[in-house]
Amino acid sequence: MNHFIGLVGTNSDNSTNRKLLQFMQKRFSDKATIELMEIQDFPIFNKPVSEQLPEVVQNAAEKIRQSDGVVISTPEYDHSIPAALTNALNWLSYGIYPFVDKPVMITGASYGTLGSSRAQSHLRQILDAPELKARIMPSSEFLLGHSLQAFNEENALNDMDQVKKLDGLFKDFQVFVELTNQLTNAHEANKKEAEDFDWETI
Amino acid sequence: MKLVGIVGSNADFSYNRLLLQYIKKHFKTFVDIEILEIKDVPLFNQSHDQTDSAPIQKLKRKVLAADGVIIATPEHNHTIPAGLKSVLEWLSFKIQPLSNKPVMIVGASYYNQGSSRAQLHLRQILEAPGVNAIVMPGNEFLLGEVKDAFDDQNNLKDQGTVDFLQTCLEKFAKFIKVMSAINEPQKDLSAEEDLEATGKIDTTIEGVDMSAEDWVEQASKKVGAAEGDAYVKLNRGILTVNQLNAFLASMPMELTFADSNNQFLFYNYTAEKEDMFAGRVPGQVGNPLANCHPPATYKNVKWVISQLRHGNEDVVRIHVPTHGPDKYVVHSYQAMRDEADNYMGVNEYILDFQPIIDWYLQQTGQRLAKDETVDVDATSSASTTQTEQVDSVSGASEKDNATVEADSVSGASEKADEPAEVDSVSSASVKS
Repeated sequence: MNHFIGLVGTNSDNSTNRKLLQFMQKRFSDKATIELMEIQDFPIFNKPVSEQLPEVVQNAAEKIRQSDGVVISTPEYDHSIPAALTNALNWLSYGIYPFVDKPVMITGASYGTLGSSRAQSHLRQILDAPELKARIMPSSEFLLGHSLQAFNEENALNDMDQVKKLDGLFKDFQVFVELTNQLTNAHEANKKEAEDFDWETI
Repeated sequence: MKLVGIVGSNADFSYNRLLLQYIKKHFKTFVDIEILEIKDVPLFNQSHDQTDSAPIQKLKRKVLAADGVIIATPEHNHTIPAGLKSVLEWLSFKIQPLSNKPVMIVGASYYNQGSSRAQLHLRQILEAPGVNAIVMPGNEFLLGEVKDAFDDQNNLKDQGTVDFLQTCLEKFAKFIKVMSAINEPQKDLSAEEDLEATGKIDTTIEGVDMSAEDWVEQASKKVGAAEGDAYVKLNRGILTVNQLNAFLASMPMELTFADSNNQFLFYNYTAEKEDMFAGRVPGQVGNPLANCHPPATYKNVKWVISQLRHGNEDVVRIHVPTHGPDKYVVHSYQAMRDEADNYMGVNEYILDFQPIIDWYLQQTGQRLAKDETVDVDATSSASTTQTEQVDSVSGASEKDNATVEADSVSGASEKADEPAEVDSVSSASVKS
């Protein structure tokens, strides 16, 4: 059984993105374990010269390293991902490279109609940066709009069409993880490129 | 033209900071740039609202007061750094100081990309409805391979780069002018100013009639105010009340303080009313500002105070020309703020600049010559007619039958029979 990290893309106490990941955790419990990861305790990133990483960052990196893949659920703040998520990714690519070649599935929820579509598209570009270089599941999007009304009292998604879509995407993600595990030819080079990426020596 | 430059990095060393410092220094005759840091801004969290914290309020105030904003962004992970994104989230949460504000984007990076992808994201972010800035189109300034871009004086080495930067800035200045023409006027908050001082702030002394002639004596008795040789601890020093008094009295200008509740609380009493540029009398202290001004001037007084209170200006200066051609008397209304940047009141200082100008000319052996290329602005044009009644934040409550008297937070007369009344507060507002 696959073990995934469900990265909550916000530091907000109330988040429908957290709810969405919790729903997936429960819904797919027979297919995979999804361990939720929070980012609100990450200090603000300021490129510390010492490159000494906070413990919370090291722990998160280790968990990501050991997982089979990561599901990131992102809200959208000002047409992009929240600063808190940018911050977490800044840390998780500063001298450490847990995301390199890691399969990632992107989901997102928003209060409005668009379901964080622009944030998701930024997130793809960000995860493609040399220090992150994740394997993002291509040509797939899960956009949960009007997320405040999307869940019932049991915190399950109301709309069965959406649930069906999510079921399909999650199945695809598991196939994608298998495929990704075969995409190993460039792994060493990718890893090296990430490690060679040094702010001070380029 | 007044701009702010936001350093898009919270790192101790940043080439983007260096770039802004270079722009500030190199183009200082063309634009006035204040550089703002984002280091102290906490990470945005919508569950923990810190909009009112000092670093965010400061950024808000500075951005509001600026004609335009230059943001210098590094690139981390193909986007803008978390620190900069966090700032923009705060500035689009409960407050929108960037709304309709012209913004120019620049960026520097170690690689040859010059933060190109971060700049694209930044454009999209600034366009979001919550931020609603007006980003100058085109003219991307991408400074790649930044480690080799500066010489040891921190100047840009490449002349072509400098020329392009200048073109960008010139276009930005034009862009600001065009945008200010199509922008809606900012909401006028001056009507909310309560010149009767009916409110109450932490330092208001209650239970004493504000209009009382001996308000100072009554109020100081009530609060047991220190006096004489009692010591007062200041932010860096200790003075006795007598020393403090002498210190303030020795200032070569007339000083007046009215608190954020619009109550007139202090002036450095060194001369009688008729010997002052703006006549004040001891009995006025304690008055609400409304008592110190004739009703006809309330609109202008409110305008000045609201500019200061809401951070549109740090200082409003008004030249009052009625003291004669041998003087250049300026009333400066300076906002006072506490360490958390909250408005504490207005410090008005009235100073005759002429002796300083004369001294400077004498010391440097220079002469004044009229610059034919410069239009006389609205404020100084008031000086052309010496017979005009000028009234800055004040005017008049008492009638004086002979000389024209200018005055600020104080008494002084308004003469009904004078021709065309020029009001320097409002002429200053035309200028701004």
